[in-house]
Amino acid sequence: MNELTIAMPKGRIFEEAYEMLIEAGFELPENVEMSRKLMIEIPQEKIRFILAKPMDVPTYVEHGVADIGIAGKDVLLEQNREVHELLDLNISKCHIASAGLPNTALNEIAPRIATKYPTVASDYYREKGEQVEIIGLNGSIELAPMIGLADRIVDIVSTGQTLKENGLVEYEFITDVSSRLIANPVSYRMKNERILDLVKRLKKCVK
Amino acid sequence: MSPIRKFEKPLGMRDTFPKIFEKKEIIRQTGREFLRLRGFDFIQTPTLEYYDTVGKASAIVDSSLFKLVDSQGNTLVLRPDMTTPIARVATSKLLKEKIPLRLAYFASVFRAQQLEGGRPAEFEQMGIEIIGDSSVYADAEVILTAIHLLKALGIEEFKITIGNAGILDAIIKKNVQDEKQFEELHSLLVRKNVVGFEEAVISYHLPVEKEKTLLSFIEDATEMKSIREIAKYLYEKDAFIYMEQLASILEIADATSYIAFDFTLASHMNYYTGMLFEVFATGSGFPIGNGGRYDGLLQVFGTEVSAIGFGLRVDHLLEVIPQQSDEKNEVLVLFVATQLAEALKTAEKLRAQGKRTTLQSIEGLENLAAFENHFAEIVRIGQGGNVHE
Repeated sequence: MNELTIAMPKGRIFEEAYEMLIEAGFELPENVEMSRKLMIEIPQEKIRFILAKPMDVPTYVEHGVADIGIAGKDVLLEQNREVHELLDLNISKCHIASAGLPNTALNEIAPRIATKYPTVASDYYREKGEQVEIIGLNGSIELAPMIGLADRIVDIVSTGQTLKENGLVEYEFITDVSSRLIANPVSYRMKNERILDLVKRLKKCVK
Repeated sequence: MSPIRKFEKPLGMRDTFPKIFEKKEIIRQTGREFLRLRGFDFIQTPTLEYYDTVGKASAIVDSSLFKLVDSQGNTLVLRPDMTTPIARVATSKLLKEKIPLRLAYFASVFRAQQLEGGRPAEFEQMGIEIIGDSSVYADAEVILTAIHLLKALGIEEFKITIGNAGILDAIIKKNVQDEKQFEELHSLLVRKNVVGFEEAVISYHLPVEKEKTLLSFIEDATEMKSIREIAKYLYEKDAFIYMEQLASILEIADATSYIAFDFTLASHMNYYTGMLFEVFATGSGFPIGNGGRYDGLLQVFGTEVSAIGFGLRVDHLLEVIPQQSDEKNEVLVLFVATQLAEALKTAEKLRAQGKRTTLQSIEGLENLAAFENHFAEIVRIGQGGNVHE
């Protein structure tokens, strides 16, 4: 049996996904020390976890340094990488939406959209037949409409609490997001049995 | 954009340093000897082709083509694949001489990169095409050639996944309502986006029977133990019988351990019409090659002849071929100016023994010790006679 390298996003998704793997019958230690560690070896299962920033998981998997990984649909849509999307784990659910100050319209001449997801945002407005200018930001996107940098933001929304606290309202629903199990195309073939077995076992635990 | 620095190359362009060059040469020579022995003739085609012919007929998306304009105003492309130029030359000339043709190539192809680095925009491909044989034996010969070529290169851990574009298209088309749904499902399968496929099928609100067929097809096809399991999805059995024949030929040829069938296999190379396959090997994160039957492509160039072939990516092969031991067995012949004649003779003798010999005058060296470090054996030809080390 070959070693399987799994790229996991750090933080909350890691814990949820880890729980799922335990539930699927993988023999994993109950508590993992993951404060600063970037790699965790599980010799009894021949599994190695690497911990990456959520945005980077598809990169590791595409290049084959990780065989499989768990990535948000938002990241997959934004980066469009050559990976196989095998299973919807149905965890860390949220959606991507546009938001802005209440009762405002898009600027007619050059509507400006601030976002962490430039590809998703520009694809969405193009599909709608609207030409917009995308302003890329890395965080605290809600600031942009508040101080007049943009008319709208495109961002992930889970409870809507952050929007509300900053006096913003949701305008358009763009797409649903949840965590997906992805695989490198070569690993999918070379380690086919192991990966299909994992998919099958996880599938039973999807709620 | 910041100004271009002196050391920079265009995005995706790479230098080949001596070590990699040697490794590539081994692949090229091994491949050439192997394919010639198998009856394939090597050919070369031009680097530049017309956009309107080869550029449009190739399955590479427009945005990946390198385009330029010639002095008459025609748009040219750097060849993005080898199959299309070979289809052109076979149709216009070679097929009149011999049929079926067995052709082979080792050449660079060019595909512009839009994303970040990590992928070359120019890379070499080694491959074959069999043109003018529509029998299942040509399919088998192509797959067996790929298997044996990989083995000749010393690669043991690899897998060839075989599908059939005709069968896949028929199953999807039979169960969707329009061309748009077909295109969408097909492109989801190219990326093997199982989740997206299932979501899309459900979102179409197809008649229950059709929805069920598509969903169970994708599940069965990924976990198929025997190719017979797919038969129930087919209405027209010819293609299936063809694939069964192929499977049994490959069994006779003792190739079963290297192959797997997956009828959801779809390719972005949209000229494939029948059997198609991808080659995977441990050591590279990307497929090392792909191939298939493309009976429609030659029609673009005006002949109705069937064709089939495959190409391996040399850059990915480099990652998977076993490490060559690079022992240093090079000889350095150092001489002082007055002893040139003697040095020439010595070097000649060493080379005749098959030793890689560098001839270097001491006067031309600034750092003698550092240069000597690169060699396993040193012969000094000085006033006092020859010294071997």
